[in-house]
Amino acid sequence: MTLPSIIHLIHRKLNYKPVLFLFIQMLKSIYRKNNLPVMLIIVYILAVTSFSRAQQSKDYKPPVTVKKQNSTVKDTNVVKQQDLFLPPNRLKFGNYLFSGNDYLRAAAEYKEYLKNYDNDTVRLKYALCFFRIGRFPEAADNFKSLFFGSFLSEEARLLFYESHFFCDDYGIFRDLIEKTNYLPLVYRKEVERLNSATFFLDNSFLPDTTNLFKPFDDSVHSKLADFYYRKKHTERKNLTTAVLLSTVIPGAGKIYTGEIGDGITSLIATVVSAYLAVSNFQNDHKFRGWLFSGLTAFFYAGNIYGSAVSAQIYNARIRFNLQSEIKLFFEQRNYFLPGIGY
Amino acid sequence: MNFRIALIITFFSLPFAVLGQNNRLQIDYADNLYKNGRSFEAITEYKRLLFFDSSYTIKYKINYNIADCYKTGGKFDEAIKYFSIAGANTSNDEELFNAKVQIIRSNILRKTTDRALLLCDELDKDSRFKYMTDKTNYWRGWAYMFADDWKNASRMFDKISNNHELKKLAEQTDRAKVSVTFAKVISYILPGAGSIYSGKVLSGFMSLGWNALSGYWTINSFNAGRIFDGIVVGELVWLRFYRGGIQNAGEFAIEKNLEIANKTLLFLQNEYTGIKP
Repeated sequence: MTLPSIIHLIHRKLNYKPVLFLFIQMLKSIYRKNNLPVMLIIVYILAVTSFSRAQQSKDYKPPVTVKKQNSTVKDTNVVKQQDLFLPPNRLKFGNYLFSGNDYLRAAAEYKEYLKNYDNDTVRLKYALCFFRIGRFPEAADNFKSLFFGSFLSEEARLLFYESHFFCDDYGIFRDLIEKTNYLPLVYRKEVERLNSATFFLDNSFLPDTTNLFKPFDDSVHSKLADFYYRKKHTERKNLTTAVLLSTVIPGAGKIYTGEIGDGITSLIATVVSAYLAVSNFQNDHKFRGWLFSGLTAFFYAGNIYGSAVSAQIYNARIRFNLQSEIKLFFEQRNYFLPGIGY
Repeated sequence: MNFRIALIITFFSLPFAVLGQNNRLQIDYADNLYKNGRSFEAITEYKRLLFFDSSYTIKYKINYNIADCYKTGGKFDEAIKYFSIAGANTSNDEELFNAKVQIIRSNILRKTTDRALLLCDELDKDSRFKYMTDKTNYWRGWAYMFADDWKNASRMFDKISNNHELKKLAEQTDRAKVSVTFAKVISYILPGAGSIYSGKVLSGFMSLGWNALSGYWTINSFNAGRIFDGIVVGELVWLRFYRGGIQNAGEFAIEKNLEIANKTLLFLQNEYTGIKP
């Protein structure tokens, strides 16, 4: 490799084309043993070109307007730095940020890149940035733009449904399932699994098991059947029963809802205060008699109210525990979704 | 011949010089954003610079500024990460010390004060920073203040100067605080006393009143030979107020201490003019 070719290579790497031409001319002149004034002129032109290039200030990207303490300060160092802000470099930088999980900044770089080039992979990654930072509606909108005429259409469609699924509005998700022209062909089963999962994750009416379990492997059917049964026939405590039991026997309502200790304490407190009220009235201690009567009434009413609350808490706890268990089951299996890596 | 070689070298270096100029401008641009408090954009531009020129000689400054932006934005984990990178790219001991101190300050703000104190100890052990003890003690004092250990905070500031402003503040705060144990103990002796000591006078007197009344009923029942009445009233009423008074005294004392500490921290945040974490 000759010296001129090395220099040429370096300049090409540096993407510094205007200098390259002059530099090659200079090199030729040296090799042809031209006279010194010619070389000096070239040096001068090169130096001036380089300097003026670095000092271009009028068309710098991005233009910056900085607000500080209620005043607007125009950024004075506005110089176009073509190398750093060229679309390919924005893409490289965006990919670097994306791989470092800095999705918000990566999205900004991809956005700038997409203003100049249309690239499906970048568009998908741009949408993925929003997906990863939990901005699902924006992610869904961007995935939608890849639905037609893109080689990433299938992935985009799946991720579109995933975005709506993770919005936690399962009603909308189920409505979207109805739009069959949106459904991916390759990942149809994954979307159907997500659809089935929505019925387990919210409190809507459960459809029959045949369709609900169909998209899942046989290996998880028994677990899903367990969830299905527990969700459909949740062991609830009846509020009215709890109240009636406590009205008849203080504390019985609490025992019915599983709070045995509280039930027995409630019973003892009511009985003892009632006995004290009667005993004081019998011994002509009217003040204490009324005091303990009031206390008895308080314990009695409290025990009835407590039983109703206890039944409600019991039902909420059962529901919450079951929902947590179902959510954990799906989360641990990544909602049976394939890993799409870009 | 030498002239030709000189010319070749000159032309080789020209593009690099121009590239350097570009970097300088990018730094200026990022610095401008940083100085104007536009942390998000500043981080992006600094990161861009780092990405495109990994050989850049002032990595310390760039990483330091990135970390500072993250710190300003309250992202202390990221701040510590970049301060650590800055620390690994220092060219002198002063820069290294600054990076380490910033890590300590971020830890203080992150409320991981144990880690901050550990890092202060490490700085003390490092022979390169033996003349920086005052600075280390200053941040150790801040770490203790954030850890609600005002006595030790005062001790640290005292090491710097007997008349240190923060020493007086820490002492004042420590003196203003009440003892939780003492509040509970005096409530054992005289019901309600602990609440009064913690500043809840009305609650203290009410506790005293209920205890006196229920105590009277209990004793009166025993005196009248109504043993069962006495046991029940004593257990259900008197002991309830007696135990409740002790429990309240402890809670009131903790609440008061929290109020005092918060008042001091609020002063430090809004009115203290010295260096803050």
